[in-house]
Amino acid sequence: MSHIPFKKCVKDFLATFLLACAIFYPLMGFVLNGFELEIKPYRPLVPALSMAVIRTFFLYGLQPFLQNQWQKSGAQRVEKKEKTALLAIVILIATICFTLMVPFLFSNYWLNVGILCLIYILLALGLNIVVGYAGLLDLGFVGFYAVGAYTFGILSSYTGLGFWSVLPLAALVAAGFGILLGFPVLRMHGDYLAIVTLGFGEIIRLILNNWTELTGGPNGMRIPPLTFFGIEFTRRSKYGGPLFHELFSLEYSSATRFQLLYLVILAFTCLVAYISWRLPKIAIGRSLLALREDEIACRSLGINHVGTKLMAFASGASIAGVAGVFFGAQQRFINPTSFTFFESALILAIVVLGGLGSTVGVIIAAVVMTALPELLRDFSEYRVLLFGLLMVIMMIAKPQGLVRQKYSQYTFE
Amino acid sequence: MNAFDLYIIGQQLINGLVLGATYGLIAIGYSMVYGIIGMINFAHGEIYMVSAYVTALVIALIAYFGGLPVGAAIMIALLFTMLITAILGWLIERVAYRPLKNSFRLAPLISAIGVSLILQNFIQLAQGARNQAMPTLLEGVLRIGGEEQFMQISYHQLLILVAALVSMLSLNTLIGKTKFGRSCRATQQDPVMAEILGINTQKVISLVFVIGAVFAAIAGTFVTMNYGSFDFYIGFVTGIKAFTAAVLGGIGSLPGAMLGGLLVGIAESFFSGFVNTDYKDVFAFGILVLILIIKPSGLLGHPEVEKV
Amino acid sequence: MIKHAKASLVAIFLTMSLGAGNIFASDTIKIGIAGPHTGNNAAFGEQLWHGSEKAAADINKAGGINGKKIELVKGDDACEPKQAVNVANRLVEKDNVVAVIGHFCSSSTIPASEIYNEAGVLMITPASTNPQVTDRKLRTILRTCGRDDQQGAIAADFLMDDLKLSKVAVLHDKDTYGKGLADAFKARLKERNPKFKEVLYEGLTRGEKDFRALVTKIKSVGAEAVYFGGLQSEAGPLVRQMRELGIDAPFISGDGIVSSDFVTAAGGANATQGVYMTFSAEARNISAGKKVVEEFRTAMKYEPEGYTLYSYATMEAIAAALKNNKKHDGKTLATWLENNPVDTVVGTLAWDKKGDLKKSNYVIYRWDKQGKYAELDKKGMTQK
Repeated sequence: MSHIPFKKCVKDFLATFLLACAIFYPLMGFVLNGFELEIKPYRPLVPALSMAVIRTFFLYGLQPFLQNQWQKSGAQRVEKKEKTALLAIVILIATICFTLMVPFLFSNYWLNVGILCLIYILLALGLNIVVGYAGLLDLGFVGFYAVGAYTFGILSSYTGLGFWSVLPLAALVAAGFGILLGFPVLRMHGDYLAIVTLGFGEIIRLILNNWTELTGGPNGMRIPPLTFFGIEFTRRSKYGGPLFHELFSLEYSSATRFQLLYLVILAFTCLVAYISWRLPKIAIGRSLLALREDEIACRSLGINHVGTKLMAFASGASIAGVAGVFFGAQQRFINPTSFTFFESALILAIVVLGGLGSTVGVIIAAVVMTALPELLRDFSEYRVLLFGLLMVIMMIAKPQGLVRQKYSQYTFE
Repeated sequence: MNAFDLYIIGQQLINGLVLGATYGLIAIGYSMVYGIIGMINFAHGEIYMVSAYVTALVIALIAYFGGLPVGAAIMIALLFTMLITAILGWLIERVAYRPLKNSFRLAPLISAIGVSLILQNFIQLAQGARNQAMPTLLEGVLRIGGEEQFMQISYHQLLILVAALVSMLSLNTLIGKTKFGRSCRATQQDPVMAEILGINTQKVISLVFVIGAVFAAIAGTFVTMNYGSFDFYIGFVTGIKAFTAAVLGGIGSLPGAMLGGLLVGIAESFFSGFVNTDYKDVFAFGILVLILIIKPSGLLGHPEVEKV
Repeated sequence: MIKHAKASLVAIFLTMSLGAGNIFASDTIKIGIAGPHTGNNAAFGEQLWHGSEKAAADINKAGGINGKKIELVKGDDACEPKQAVNVANRLVEKDNVVAVIGHFCSSSTIPASEIYNEAGVLMITPASTNPQVTDRKLRTILRTCGRDDQQGAIAADFLMDDLKLSKVAVLHDKDTYGKGLADAFKARLKERNPKFKEVLYEGLTRGEKDFRALVTKIKSVGAEAVYFGGLQSEAGPLVRQMRELGIDAPFISGDGIVSSDFVTAAGGANATQGVYMTFSAEARNISAGKKVVEEFRTAMKYEPEGYTLYSYATMEAIAAALKNNKKHDGKTLATWLENNPVDTVVGTLAWDKKGDLKKSNYVIYRWDKQGKYAELDKKGMTQK
């Protein structure tokens, strides 16, 4: 395959170039400025040309080359059971070590990105239970996240409860909301379910924004700084108690608070990840999977479909609620702009990119999707454009998600 | 109830109808694509946004090279916008969805979210983040009533209603009466069987995307003329509302999409006008939830048959 | 920053993100410009950036800060609180900025300011008017704009003393800035007349363009004047649709509409003619500013509107503080600014202990037929 069909190559190049021009010329060649128009005839040429070059290169350079290499190597897919198991354990241990080291190796910036990654892992694992295992498409997941964060905000400002006591309460409240949403939508399927959940998420956000007396509306709520069971992390004490760095005779550092928060979330994430990984292997998880595949068959077999579905909603929601509390503790300020529909879409994208139902895949995808916009910061204004582009490319390259979930099979003997 | 109140109610009804017609026009695109391949095309709202830009650019260009009669200018702008968005719609299908045709159904959804991010930011980079505007082309209103108390509809608004009606009727004929319409319906019912019967389903899918985009262009052109201003963010807000409308009417059903659009528009307008603007979106979504609980497949949608 | 303990695994991250910039001790002074450079508020991010960029260029041309050049670092928060925190951490640690100009949205400024304060970095926002920004009494946080409560009060006084109207519809955009403004306006009216009750108090949704239902409602309650707290992207269509429905009631708003984009968003100067707004005394008329404005228009082909000149002034204030202090930590700089007024293109700026401007110089402006705004000459108008 060293020979390149030159004529076809040129034809494809020209076709791509012309098509790209058709889009880029009207939208880039002329720039609106108030009621006036600026004409920039050379501006669209660069993207149009580069698009044509990239496509031709891909079609006639890269693709045949890759195919060639693949054939030459004579590669065959071989199942290597024992080796992969060993490898998995090594990777797992390495990952755990690495994640434990993060707060002590990195600067505050990366530590905070790490915290955000963990929060998104939690959210994605929660949504994974609903979408991945139960097969219920939920576009309003951010609502539960908001409920968690606002439970923290409201309880701390009206009753003075701290982080640690709010944590279980927020999980309970969010689970309650999950069941509240779950009941009416039991009859719905697929995309009708999707739009109702979307509506639910929006309703929660709008109420939080409009109910100024309770939530402060758009002004948001302040969240008290994280304490270590009542011990403050600040340089000087606000409430007169002992301080963390004095108590443990450490040098004061503003990072201590985030280090602790990171470790707390990490511990919690590990727990949720373990549950999520075990879920398809235990009875209730398997009935969830079965319900996803065929609801009627399940009901005739006596599986309680109401209870199982509500369980999925409630557990997903409570995980999101806890994530909301963590988010509040990190930001120390919450307002409704953090809980828009776009967040729901992002979390769903994480779950799908990671591979529906796959715990490992979802975790990897969450880290990638949270860290990516930060890594792309060097591209400044092209950042979000590139993010969208990478999302499409990732989806096309791996339509089943990063890790395709395989379920263990059982046979009767 | 005095005459003034009646005029106000009438005015709110007009407001709602016009708003609903725009939702309906965009909702048709969602509904068609969903009917054919069962995916929510999240990038559809952005196509509407792009068409607003193209319309304004064409109008400005016409003004730049010397004027034309208003009617001709609008026609040229509309046709050109339809052409560009049709290419865009085809391209998006080709690049972002076709490779995912045979994978599971959430994959194209995510790809669509990516596409909508790309379109939004591309326009922001190409055209700047500022508000853009279009000169008022048709001045004037139709008024019923007296000097102080009246209800009115501007020519722009009237144009939206007419456009919605005409395009709805022509689409109905296209789907109901033509050969293409028959292959469309066949593909919707059973793509594999349709292919066996000699229908080029791939072509049908492409064309459906193109038609959806063209409808977004019609909405984009007339709505831009009506409001006179737009920015790169309008696709998102309107897109969600239109999607709501499509589901409300029964996703996959074209008259349902229009009906859902009108319903959402009127509901918003009345709630905002007589109760409270803060909670109008809560009310719109509340109606949606309520209707779907009573009728889980939307107003005009076919109930899903659960096969055993 | 880089310690030998970091494993090779980390190296991938480092090469991609940290770059080589801060390994070498730099001869420049870095200042962060944080704001919405993308997203639906990007138009304001542009003003922030152009103003600061020009100021930095001018200062560098004049010799920089004690010989050191100013280097700007862009930080994009898209007006999302989540991103604002990341940007703040990144500017503080990765870029080692000595000061930050920004952020724009109050909802981003508030969480980000906690981080700057903790790290001891000076932050001056030219745009976030929410009282909470400075009410938390953070040491290193200042602003070069007024507060919502000051602005709303001026507008309320104008309504009562000059327009002499009482049936007013108060609208806002349900966002931190807009709602704060509308509430301050309402509070002032109540304070002066305890029996005051607005005829309408509602919030519209940002990003929408159709406010006809709301406008019809304004008509039905018979409002004589409309006050709107929000930004031009909603104010434009709102005022246009009001005029289309034949409502001539005066339209008053705040500095969120200070931009020719307001006229664009309203579809032309026909609709915006006669709109009142509160804004700081016109920077473009102050002699110090005239030259700068001229340069903006000729050299950069950019109309310095809205927050552009305030960003310029903020940069001047920071530069002055840096020049006059050996230590460049936030506390020193903030204390210096609170004790020493600075001459800028928008006039002399002086801060109080909280970080607010001592003298708020809000006045009433009026938009004219040409789509330009000018300070209102109140002598000519005794009656509406």
